Amino acid sequence: MDGSFADRLLGALEAFFEGVVRFLPGLLAALLILVLGALVGWAVKAMARRLLGVARFDRFCDSAGFSSILTRADVRAKPSALLASLLFWLVIASFLMAAASALRVDVINQLIAAFFLYLPRLISALGILLVGFLLGNFVSRAALLAAVNANAPSPRAIGLVVKFLIAILSFAMALEQAEIARSIVIAAFIILFGAVMLALALAFGLGGRDVARHALERHFLKGDAGAVGDDLTHV
Amino acid sequence: MNDAAPLLEPLRARLAEIGEVDVLVGIPSYNNAATIGHVVRAVQAGFAKYFPDQRTLLLNSDGGSSDGTPDVVQNASISDFQTLLAAHPPRAVHRIVTPYHGIPGKGSAVRTVFAAAREAKARACAIVDADLRSITPEWIDLLVSPVLRQDYDFVAPLYHRHKYDGTITNSIVYPLTRALYGRRVRQPIGGEFGFSGRLAEAYLEQPVWESEVARFGIDIWMTTTAITGSFRVCQAFLGAKIHDAKDPGVDLAAMLTQVVGAVFALMETHAGSWRDVSGSIPVPEFGFEYTVGLEPVRVNVERMVGIFASGVQELAEIWERVLDPETMAQVRALAAVSGDAFRFPVGVWVRAVYDFALAHHRRAINREHLLKSLTPLYLGRTASFVLETAGSDANDVEEAIEAVCLEYERMKPYLIERWEV
Repeated sequence: MDGSFADRLLGALEAFFEGVVRFLPGLLAALLILVLGALVGWAVKAMARRLLGVARFDRFCDSAGFSSILTRADVRAKPSALLASLLFWLVIASFLMAAASALRVDVINQLIAAFFLYLPRLISALGILLVGFLLGNFVSRAALLAAVNANAPSPRAIGLVVKFLIAILSFAMALEQAEIARSIVIAAFIILFGAVMLALALAFGLGGRDVARHALERHFLKGDAGAVGDDLTHV
Repeated sequence: MNDAAPLLEPLRARLAEIGEVDVLVGIPSYNNAATIGHVVRAVQAGFAKYFPDQRTLLLNSDGGSSDGTPDVVQNASISDFQTLLAAHPPRAVHRIVTPYHGIPGKGSAVRTVFAAAREAKARACAIVDADLRSITPEWIDLLVSPVLRQDYDFVAPLYHRHKYDGTITNSIVYPLTRALYGRRVRQPIGGEFGFSGRLAEAYLEQPVWESEVARFGIDIWMTTTAITGSFRVCQAFLGAKIHDAKDPGVDLAAMLTQVVGAVFALMETHAGSWRDVSGSIPVPEFGFEYTVGLEPVRVNVERMVGIFASGVQELAEIWERVLDPETMAQVRALAAVSGDAFRFPVGVWVRAVYDFALAHHRRAINREHLLKSLTPLYLGRTASFVLETAGSDANDVEEAIEAVCLEYERMKPYLIERWEV
């Protein structure tokens, strides 16, 4: 009985040590991968900062209105520094996944596989959001300028409506791309977009009758300079 | 040499048939059937009256008109030269109507004229707009003779215009071009020009024909290239300029964007030429100056001031990225006054234009947005100018424009200091 207990104990310890011995190379490999990841991450970050500096990325962000959004959000870092940090953490995350995979634990491997399958969707969703943000800023500024130059009433509201519509569209597209609550997102988008359009139509129809009349008069009665009251040729 | 020569084969063949010419007049056109007949007859009479012994060619470079413009050009003629001349002209006027090759726009049409001038070895050339109603045969003499008989390379037009006509020219293009390049060319975007065969050749060599210059901005480009290329420049007094009424639907902001964008783009190209220039010198003038009666111009000052005030309120976020803080504060203060008391001082205006040029240079925001955001400021300055000169005659107004020019020259160091910073 005693011999049997000692054998069992030794067997269990042996199995444990065997497990540890089997696991240790994987752990060591994982640690090495993490160290390598940190080095690659730092190198990518440094290179990205230099390249973005040469490409005048901060100036581009200034002109696209991205910097002012960061300032409003109380983010003091330069956009180039932010992007370089983002790349650093992406590299670290990738190496972390590889390190976890080196441990050869089935559950972790499955999770990693699922994450890598989802990653392209996540990246394209973020890309859609970024493009939507830039496009929204650009188009709303164009609308604001056109409204001011045409002496239209409430130019800022026109610009904001344009920005809001593009934001809704890009947000819905991004969520759809990321496969987050697809059916709810599509339904909500249709309802929201329809409601905004209806509100605009009502607002224009009820509140902007005179504007619409003037716009139509200007369009169809081009020869009627009295609509504007200027004969200036400017050039 | 630029190999993408814009001469289509039928045009080349026709030019070969005609041979060399002494004088070539080009008329770029697009749907100008209502007015181009008069222009063609004026050119024809100008040839007969002032260049009877020269070999002459009239070239209509058309952008695909759908209103029968080419037919009008082919058929326009002076039936009875005796009303104009003592004797019938000894030489026939060669006439060519051709479509042009390249990007649609006046620039491509003018390029065809340059290429034809090179092919025909023309000694002196002129370009006149197809929508002119006030052109006379004398215009051809005034644009061509300084080149043919006085060895000038470029003849800019001088017109009498209503005091409120050409406000972009008077408040931006003329004073800025003058301050930058140091030559007082009064109508740098006039539309009518005379030039030598040598200059036409130099124009053709420039690598601009696939750029915006081919579409619009050809007038200021020609003037600036002539000045910066050290060609001999003069101007000729042509009288009143009356042209076909522009489409009232044409957007002022788009027009301002095109014109000012072309001037700013040329500032980039010729930065090396203008940085060392200070002050300005007059250019020689030809022609007999006389006063002309001009039709009154209606101006809606209230609307202009309204758009300016709206700009101050709504575009502050954009202007803050463009204007110097001191200029921005001054602009804000201007909006507090409305009605007849409204004024936009010339000093603030010139600083604002220089700030916009600097913002364009360093690409502070999208360039089209930048230029469109200038419209309310321009309208504010124009309204102020109208109010300041309400009781002034043409001479007083010209003095006011001279004061604007001097302010541009005085403040040029402000621009130079900040250009490369």
